[in-house]
Amino acid sequence: MITFSSFPAPSNDNYRSSVTYPTGLDKDEEFDFDLDNDDFTSSGRKLTCPGEALTSSQAFMRGHGTYVDNEEVIASVAGIVERVNKLISVRAIRTRYNPEVGDLIVGRITEVQPRRWKVDANSRQDAVLMLSSVNLPGGVQRRKLESDELQMRTFFEEGDLLVAEVQAFFADGAMSLHTRSLKYGKLRNGQLVTVPPALIRRLKSHFLALPCGVDLILGLNGYIWVSKHVKESEQEGEEGFDAEAVYSNRNDDIDDATRSAVSRVSNIIRMLAAHFVPLTDTILLNAYEWAVDQDGSIRDLLQEDAGEALVAAISAQL
Amino acid sequence: MAAAISKAERTYIQTSLKSNPPLRADGRSLYDFRSVLLETGVAPLANGSARLNIGKSPEEGGGGTEVIAATKLEVENVENGDGQDGGRIVCTVTCSPAAYPQLSMNALDDLQYDYTTVLHQILSHPSLHPKNLEIIPKKKSWLLSLDLVILSDAGNIYDALFMAARGALWDTKVPITRAVQYTAKKTGEVVRAVEEALGSESVGSSGLDTRQLPAAADFELMDYWDEGEPLDGNDLWPVCITLNVHETTHFLDATLLEESSVPSKLLLVFSFPPSSASRIQAVRTIGSGELQPLHVQTLIPEAEKYARQLNSALNGKLKDEDVRRNQKARNIFANR
Repeated sequence: MITFSSFPAPSNDNYRSSVTYPTGLDKDEEFDFDLDNDDFTSSGRKLTCPGEALTSSQAFMRGHGTYVDNEEVIASVAGIVERVNKLISVRAIRTRYNPEVGDLIVGRITEVQPRRWKVDANSRQDAVLMLSSVNLPGGVQRRKLESDELQMRTFFEEGDLLVAEVQAFFADGAMSLHTRSLKYGKLRNGQLVTVPPALIRRLKSHFLALPCGVDLILGLNGYIWVSKHVKESEQEGEEGFDAEAVYSNRNDDIDDATRSAVSRVSNIIRMLAAHFVPLTDTILLNAYEWAVDQDGSIRDLLQEDAGEALVAAISAQL
Repeated sequence: MAAAISKAERTYIQTSLKSNPPLRADGRSLYDFRSVLLETGVAPLANGSARLNIGKSPEEGGGGTEVIAATKLEVENVENGDGQDGGRIVCTVTCSPAAYPQLSMNALDDLQYDYTTVLHQILSHPSLHPKNLEIIPKKKSWLLSLDLVILSDAGNIYDALFMAARGALWDTKVPITRAVQYTAKKTGEVVRAVEEALGSESVGSSGLDTRQLPAAADFELMDYWDEGEPLDGNDLWPVCITLNVHETTHFLDATLLEESSVPSKLLLVFSFPPSSASRIQAVRTIGSGELQPLHVQTLIPEAEKYARQLNSALNGKLKDEDVRRNQKARNIFANR
């Protein structure tokens, strides 16, 4: 029923006896910023350590994630170096979600305000979903009425999960969302898994359907919705835009096999995220096939050795 | 602490619990705990400390319910009216704002007051009082402050608090003291005599002194190979089992989403004295749901069974921790 274990020991315990820091970096080790080479990214992306000297501050300007000390631009976070002309910045690996226009996100309503909802999207600020940027019952072209403002909670209420797209930014950097597509809207029939946003790659489509009867929505903000598969033909259609179905809170009947598939996929995602494997459709498919082949219980997937075996199997296939 | 949850998620969790066999979001069975990590002796300046994490993801740094508990002993002068004869225990729970980012400071205060009340009432109960918190009867005693900090909450916070508290109390060492008495020689010079036995009547006291009060006036710390003796009643400290009751089923170790999708929680706190039968130290119901007394009655033996397993697993782990720390201390000593 319950097992206790110890906290993982720090991997390097030598600091007790002796501390050795590298004394001064070689010039070769410094980042080589070649101004003629526009394709900076392909010249080998490298992770920075906090405190690592990147380049001279006389030739370059410091951006986010860096500071200047002793005429050198120094990384203040662990991340990936990015350069725009003379501006050097480091994008941290572990960070909140940085929204960009057009991103697909999964969010949770935190507040209902006049003519807008506040949405938690794992970003620095809550996102805003305006009443004017959702599809309302009765057709896409319908005007917003005062009665709609009065019954906003019948569309989304606090705690509801939704999938949306980033539409624009406000002056303070908060993002504005829209759900004006039939693919977007309220989520049901499944469960949410959270991973670090850096692990979600930009894909052609963020709506995945696994052959085990599970649909996935990979929100770029690190929220992943794992749910029962809905057939194309049964999706809420344009013609009879059915408000009942789109804003319904009720789950369909889900059989036990689908439920366990949802749990298994969720555990695979958690395990991959724990090993910091970026998630794409092929990786998830391979991982699911591997997990089914192993024939273990769903819970076993969260064990450490199973996770390592999973990650080893996945990286062998890549 | 109810997390935000949508109606669809709630019904999904509830129907999964009712399906056959019952299924939970991460594939656990109803009575499985997530992995629990425990370490004692994390705070060097405390008399005893423990760090506990439920449900940390194996590779990653974050995740899970994390609690740090530490005890500190202070001397209290009973004669002056502070403290009480025989020592006392005061528990305090603090919630880190990072654990509950959605709460305002006032709501956070309320929450930590709730946790503090539950813990203090149960752990400072006379039936659990350790015997070696007394220094000099009716004069000096130890005040044991048990402080717990909630660093993050991913569900099942009460069980975590009680396990961490137990770890810290298990780890607590009470310094060994010796009563000291001052007697005036006839010549008028003050000589200090040391009494070997705590509080025993002094032999050299004046024949005119008929008071029954112990003659010892003060105490000194003895030179001892360790920081002190372990706190008395190590094996009495209770464990808490939170039953999340949904209709006729119940389950253990709920995550935040599971907690907010069941109407009521039942806290049952058990103590397992080594020689006699188990004792229920406390029963609490939390939540808006209704629990029939008959239902609670059937749940108690179940909970007792889980608590017994939890108790023996925790005891085993705490003993392992003692061994590990002795080993570590020996290694450090050898490397010097």
